[in-house]
Amino acid sequence: MNLWVCIPAVLALIGLRFLKTHILGWLAAWWICVFVILKFGMVPPMPSSIIGLYVAILTSVLLLYLTSDTERMSQAGNFLMRFFGERKFAPYLWTAAVLIPLLAGTNAYLAASKEVEAPASGRTIHPAPPGEMTFKGKKIDLIKASNPFRELETKDPTAFETHVAAGRKVYYQNCVFCHGDNMEGDGIFAYGYDPLPANFQDPTTIGMLQESYLFWRIAKGGPGLPEESTPWSSAMPAWEKFVSEDDIWNVILFLYRFTGQKPRAQEKAE
Amino acid sequence: MMRRNDSTCVSTFRIFRATAIYAWVGAVIGFTSANAGDMGTEAQRQAGKQLYNSKCSQCHGETGDGKGDGAEYFRPTPRIFTSGTFKIRTTESGELPTDADLRTVIKRGMPYTGMPAWPKFSDQDLMNLVYYIKTFNSDFADSTNKPKSIELPKAPAMTQESITRGKQLFAENKCLDCHGKLGRGDGESGPTLKDDWKNPIRPADLTKRWTYRGGSTREDIYRTFMTGLSGTPMPSYASSVAEKDRWPLVDYVYSLSPGDQPGYATMVLAEFSPTPLDISKGKALFATAKPAVFPVVGQVVEDKRNFFPGVNAVEARSMYDAENVAVLLTWHDMSAQKTGSNTPVTVIRPVGDTTHPIYSDAIALQIPAKNPDGVGKPYFLFGDKRNAVDLWFADLVKGQPQLFVGKGSGNVSPAEGAVSMRSGYQDGEWWVVFSRKRQDGKHMPFDEGTFVPVAFSVWDGFNAETGGNRGVTSWYSIYLKPSHTESPIVPAGKQAAACILIEAGVIWIMRRRVHGQAKVSPAEKAKI
Repeated sequence: MNLWVCIPAVLALIGLRFLKTHILGWLAAWWICVFVILKFGMVPPMPSSIIGLYVAILTSVLLLYLTSDTERMSQAGNFLMRFFGERKFAPYLWTAAVLIPLLAGTNAYLAASKEVEAPASGRTIHPAPPGEMTFKGKKIDLIKASNPFRELETKDPTAFETHVAAGRKVYYQNCVFCHGDNMEGDGIFAYGYDPLPANFQDPTTIGMLQESYLFWRIAKGGPGLPEESTPWSSAMPAWEKFVSEDDIWNVILFLYRFTGQKPRAQEKAE
Repeated sequence: MMRRNDSTCVSTFRIFRATAIYAWVGAVIGFTSANAGDMGTEAQRQAGKQLYNSKCSQCHGETGDGKGDGAEYFRPTPRIFTSGTFKIRTTESGELPTDADLRTVIKRGMPYTGMPAWPKFSDQDLMNLVYYIKTFNSDFADSTNKPKSIELPKAPAMTQESITRGKQLFAENKCLDCHGKLGRGDGESGPTLKDDWKNPIRPADLTKRWTYRGGSTREDIYRTFMTGLSGTPMPSYASSVAEKDRWPLVDYVYSLSPGDQPGYATMVLAEFSPTPLDISKGKALFATAKPAVFPVVGQVVEDKRNFFPGVNAVEARSMYDAENVAVLLTWHDMSAQKTGSNTPVTVIRPVGDTTHPIYSDAIALQIPAKNPDGVGKPYFLFGDKRNAVDLWFADLVKGQPQLFVGKGSGNVSPAEGAVSMRSGYQDGEWWVVFSRKRQDGKHMPFDEGTFVPVAFSVWDGFNAETGGNRGVTSWYSIYLKPSHTESPIVPAGKQAAACILIEAGVIWIMRRRVHGQAKVSPAEKAKI
């Protein structure tokens, strides 16, 4: 959210509460403020189709507000009658009559002369994992599976450290090229792949996932993704072809260690 | 004190001279001030060590020997801190860098190498790291050898005269022996170059300043000229280029790149040609077509991974006529490999086979074999079982393209089809023109107003790339801009006319109502 836009817009609406405004001015102020928030106040920007949808809802709500009260209606009606009928409003009327088609025409002109852009494809970043998977012929239940070395963290810290160190080696010989030295998804080849590699320092990636989910994503890679996650463009290799089961669990330990994040806990079976 | 720099006699002489001067200065002041190299406090070095072992040792090694776990997967190889040889410095050729130099390199990283930028390190972190890195080479603690920056002036305004003069100097100073006539890194001696550790090293492609290891500003280039890149064949020109000639040389090199950024594209725009395309014109045919540059990175996903691809970008242009579509691909390659052969098929060589086959340079253009159903596409690396890809493969030894169908990296087989091709190599750049009928009923059609998915693979024969070992791109697209498009005036006019009509209606209705009300007499109004 861009607070520099949103706060003034909200303040303007609050200020409006204390002013005696003509109903049409009031409606226009609401319409403009909400539009400005939707169009310029959102980071990242919303698609124009969504903005259009919200604006349509907004317009109908404002119209409903206007028509739900006879006093408001007559206030608006009287003004419109005067605007169209009285001589002193004639210059404004004719200026508006010229400006509106001009603006609409310019808008259409700009839209039509826009350069074509490659179609963007949306994708689901964290799709639902399957219930179970096979790893080199061995069935793994992804709902129950947990990192076999995780318990060493408390039981045998020395052994745990050797697993983390092994994971570190795996990371810097296999993953670093895309996911980067600092795990921010900016390795030396990252810029050439689309979608971009995951940024593990981002708290919404591995911090929100269970270790078994990571195991599935690492073992099956891009080709193992469901359709909604565009498996045809992901450069994530199916690591089961290159590294052992133990090494995948090791590298998972290292990912959490290096980023200081914690895996999401396994849901307790009721 | 002495460090080797056998790149040129000039710089060796410089070191001798510098040594002599320092020895003399040291003798004079050495007794009066015990100015030991600033190695920080024990606590600072310990803090640096902790950071180093967490973020740096995986490549540079725990002992600073440049042999960390990841070291063998990067070219250029990680810096060997024990050597005391550093590329990017503000000090004279062969000298140690200053603390600020080391901090700057860590903070900025070295573009297009395994050394990332570390903008998140605080000044404190950087200082501690530098103190620790300096413990790897005893010269840093040597009080008689304090690194001193040379004078680096601010860049003056750049002029056309300066660039023209620089071009002349570029030839006179034999820059083109390594960097090539047009600066594409294709000089004659390029393929033979080695660094101080006998690793092959490539001359910089000066037409891509975003890849310059020491930064891309004119000041950065000036610094490289004055200090050289120690450990590499790039010498210092401090003594061989007169002061008045330095900025002209910088300006010429700077002018070789199109901009600060590569400006990577996401699609190729193909315009309609009313006259039939004659691909025998080669590159010249595409003079007016809009270029689109795509990044090429190592294929590190499937078997026979390539961690240091020889090519880092490919430029594409496209045009079409009533019958055919043509695509021009160009890319920089330091040395054309015009002997041997190549193939997109990964050939598993028998264990113990120590022969070194010669691989020629090659490129492949990849499109889906059929119009993809729905939004899906074939897998970007040579397709998959369900969705196949067509490969237009050009082994640049041969004058004819070879066609392949890919159903996955392990399942690439020769195919039938009619694709024509022209190719050539000049001044460090390959160009290939492919042409095919837009519709032949059997392959992916190139229809007006549609996006055809396209991806590329490049093999650098000099880099022994073949099969899976190659440079690749993601999926992009070729868009055939319709041959007849209406002017944007038309929709604009329609919109405006519609608005005027509605307005006229509204005004008419409102005016009628206003007049109708006016006719009602005040007496009647009062009744209401």
